[in-house]
Amino acid sequence: MTNIGSDLPRADGWDKVAGKSQYTVDYSESGMLHGCVLRSPVVCGRIVRVDVEAARSMPGVRAVVTATNVGNGRAGMLVRDQTLFADREIRHHGEAIAAVAADTLAQARAARDAIELEAESLPALTTMAQALASDAPLVHPDWESYALNPMAAELRRQGNVAGELIADPDGVDEAFERAHLVVEDEFCVDRQYQAYLEPMSAVARFTDGRCIVRTGSQFPYNIREELAAYLDVRLSDVRVIGQTVGGGFGAKLGCGTEGYAAVLSRAVGGRSVRVVKTRDEDIVTAPVRENAELRIRTALDAEGNMTAREFSCDMDCGAYGLETPTFPSILFHFAAGIYRIGPVRVHARAVYTNTPPTGAFRGVNGPAVYFAVERHMDNIARRLNEDPMAFRARHMLRDGDTLLNGQALADAHIAREACEAVQKSLPAVGARQSGDRLRGVGSATGFWVTNPLPGSVTITVGEDGRLHVLTGANDNGSGAVAMGLTQIVAEAMGVSTGEVIVGLPDTDLSGYDSGSQGSRTTHIVGKAALIAIDDLKTRIFDVARQMLPPGANELELVGGMVRAVGIGDAQVPLAAVFQMANFSNVSLSGSGTYATTPPAFTPGCAVGLTMPSLLTPTYHAHRAEVEVDSVTGNVRLLRYVVAQEVGRAINPDGIMGQIQGGIAQGIGFTLTENLRLVDGRYLERSLEAYRLPLAQDLPRVEVVLLEHPDSEGPFGAKGVAEPPLVFAPAAIANAVSDAVGKPFYKLPITPEDVLFALDT
Amino acid sequence: MQQLTFEVNGRREVVAVDVGETLLDCLRERLHLTGAKDGCREGECGACTVLVDGQPVDACLYPALACEGVSVRTVEGIGTPSEPSDLQKAIVEHAGLQCGFCTPGIVVVLTALLEAVPNPGRANIQTALAGNLCRCTGYAQIEDAVLSLASGAKDGL
Ligand code: FES
Ligand code: FES
Repeated sequence: MTNIGSDLPRADGWDKVAGKSQYTVDYSESGMLHGCVLRSPVVCGRIVRVDVEAARSMPGVRAVVTATNVGNGRAGMLVRDQTLFADREIRHHGEAIAAVAADTLAQARAARDAIELEAESLPALTTMAQALASDAPLVHPDWESYALNPMAAELRRQGNVAGELIADPDGVDEAFERAHLVVEDEFCVDRQYQAYLEPMSAVARFTDGRCIVRTGSQFPYNIREELAAYLDVRLSDVRVIGQTVGGGFGAKLGCGTEGYAAVLSRAVGGRSVRVVKTRDEDIVTAPVRENAELRIRTALDAEGNMTAREFSCDMDCGAYGLETPTFPSILFHFAAGIYRIGPVRVHARAVYTNTPPTGAFRGVNGPAVYFAVERHMDNIARRLNEDPMAFRARHMLRDGDTLLNGQALADAHIAREACEAVQKSLPAVGARQSGDRLRGVGSATGFWVTNPLPGSVTITVGEDGRLHVLTGANDNGSGAVAMGLTQIVAEAMGVSTGEVIVGLPDTDLSGYDSGSQGSRTTHIVGKAALIAIDDLKTRIFDVARQMLPPGANELELVGGMVRAVGIGDAQVPLAAVFQMANFSNVSLSGSGTYATTPPAFTPGCAVGLTMPSLLTPTYHAHRAEVEVDSVTGNVRLLRYVVAQEVGRAINPDGIMGQIQGGIAQGIGFTLTENLRLVDGRYLERSLEAYRLPLAQDLPRVEVVLLEHPDSEGPFGAKGVAEPPLVFAPAAIANAVSDAVGKPFYKLPITPEDVLFALDT
Repeated sequence: MQQLTFEVNGRREVVAVDVGETLLDCLRERLHLTGAKDGCREGECGACTVLVDGQPVDACLYPALACEGVSVRTVEGIGTPSEPSDLQKAIVEHAGLQCGFCTPGIVVVLTALLEAVPNPGRANIQTALAGNLCRCTGYAQIEDAVLSLASGAKDGL
């Protein structure tokens, strides 16, 4: 095996490094118009009047559209609660009111600025507490009439609660009554902006009555579904073609600019329209990570064993649901961490407010949940005067133990292996001080999952013997396609990666894929490719047998040749096999579709559970060493160690990049990135104000890869991309708490928070 | 519209530009050099970085008309997919790019660094990258790529 476990350069790397890759902003079509969107300056209100007449007659303007002239269908990830344009109600700052297409962007903007919007401001529900008050007005008075997507079948909703999960197993109250000690903590986390470098953008046109959209989306098939709903046309009347993705991290799973480009193109009779968000607009409207409030109480017996837990959490959906209503279900699965706790009562809600909508961000609500769970574990250990890792080890699940949904975790021991690996690399020595500098170490451990949703691949042998791979999967930058899938196909077909060409997704051609989300692409799409290759190899071998000497029964693919095993050097090149097949009525192409089979779980373990089980778990331990400047309050990462179980590493350098990049986002979420809402509006509205970590802020992460090949995964591979971000906030916050000697309960931990803690 | 004469990647270009047009728009829209990216248009991300007479500038803020008579170098002038510069090659080989949107700006900035400081240390590289955001990589493998060139130079490779 030469392709698996090798640090091969990514297939799209040479174009990217030379500035040749075509992102949506680099793509244009002849006669293309430029579109832009008028957005609400109001946080909550009612539209009294939108007057577009002046705008319509301005130079270069080809169309102005609003809710009243586009048909305004409803779409949404779970609940179809969203329209392209505010109709009467304005539910959040930045909500779209109108859109303009003109010959130049400057003309489009000038016309947008000439639209007269008269809106009556209404009292806004800008916090979850306001939205949950018994007399609160409803953000969506018509919530009961909204259509649900299949994934929302189990969703529990009520008024401003867009999704609610309740798990209430027997024995919780009894355990708390008998408890020797109860430890109770409250945590909160703020929003986080994905901050992909390429702002959202799309180019749309209509041809033969169908809408054709180009976009660097993480999930072209979902874009198609949402567009069909917004445009109120059949699914197959929309074609979405992928472009190179300039980063997404969850934000580019649903429509951003695609809908506006599409309705503008329809309004101008099908001419191409490009819509690109400005950075300010992108920040205001991105489906950022949700702010959340989390409360945990754990009961302990006289021996310091955890015997029960109560976990409640409210997460802010903003004005529309997107993915967030399903997050209470994700929280449920991780509410006990990776520990034996006894019964766990969970109450989690996703709450509508009059704020910009939140959605998916790499690891979805994992970073917040593990921050709470693993900070809480440290706090309990401290109360017991026990070493935090020893306390964890005492409670860690063992192979075959069950999770809260009743599902057995077959290989829980890998988490112990991960903890031992980080302990070896960076022994925890306890907090220490030199001058103004305080040092501390913190850890986090647990498991994460690989999204199981289906993907498909078709592989075709071309005339010259090269392999063309068609898939709806897009490389969001992670390398899951450019490295993972490419190397998997090369290996299984016995060729070098240069012989494998993976096209961009095209919903007319490529076969369904569930998008680059949930660390799924290498695992799911890689597996679909192996199924396709089984199919393809049978066809190749059937044709090749006619070309090889008699007795060539067992065949293999090596170096682009079909070789007869055991008959001297009898072989025939793939290109020749193609020629033969072409005249033998055989199509040299194979297809595969794969989704993970869900494991057994206990029905009724919770109500409102939209994701009943966890698939393809991976195991993790993180340890951070920080230095806190007690004069400035700044926190610096001295070392960061990760032990991550990956099933099988297809491209170790690629995995390094996922870990380093994920930790960087975790460091940002924990220390520097602050997206603050003040009365429903973001305070940080530029990349200057929103402080991403820079090169000098980041340590070089030390990585131990643990390989335990998955029986289903391609060559054993599991998901890799999300977990680095999931565990980082907990480890860093534990390290800062250790260094300062005070517990931290809120993210981000700003220098002011550190100074405040030191002073009190 | 005003006429602008300048050199871009070693070639003399004469273009008509609007007053107030940025160098970035001029390169991308008029010369179809889309390597320099518009990540923010507010001078914060560095994705639009090009060299003006050898100095890195944010092309999104730099007026095109200020380029009369100067020499501009963009990522396209540094190497091509089939003939990448040593730096570009090292970045690909060290997996120093993911989505690639920041990469052209980073290649430009680091090319300037290597011209000024042939053997930079990690701290030099991090300082040089202070104006370039990369959301994907966490920078370490980009730094490794540059360091590999520096040590290669030392070893006489
Ligand atoms: S586009 Fe120029 S700095 Fe971001
Ligand atoms: S590689 Fe994506 S921003 Fe740098």
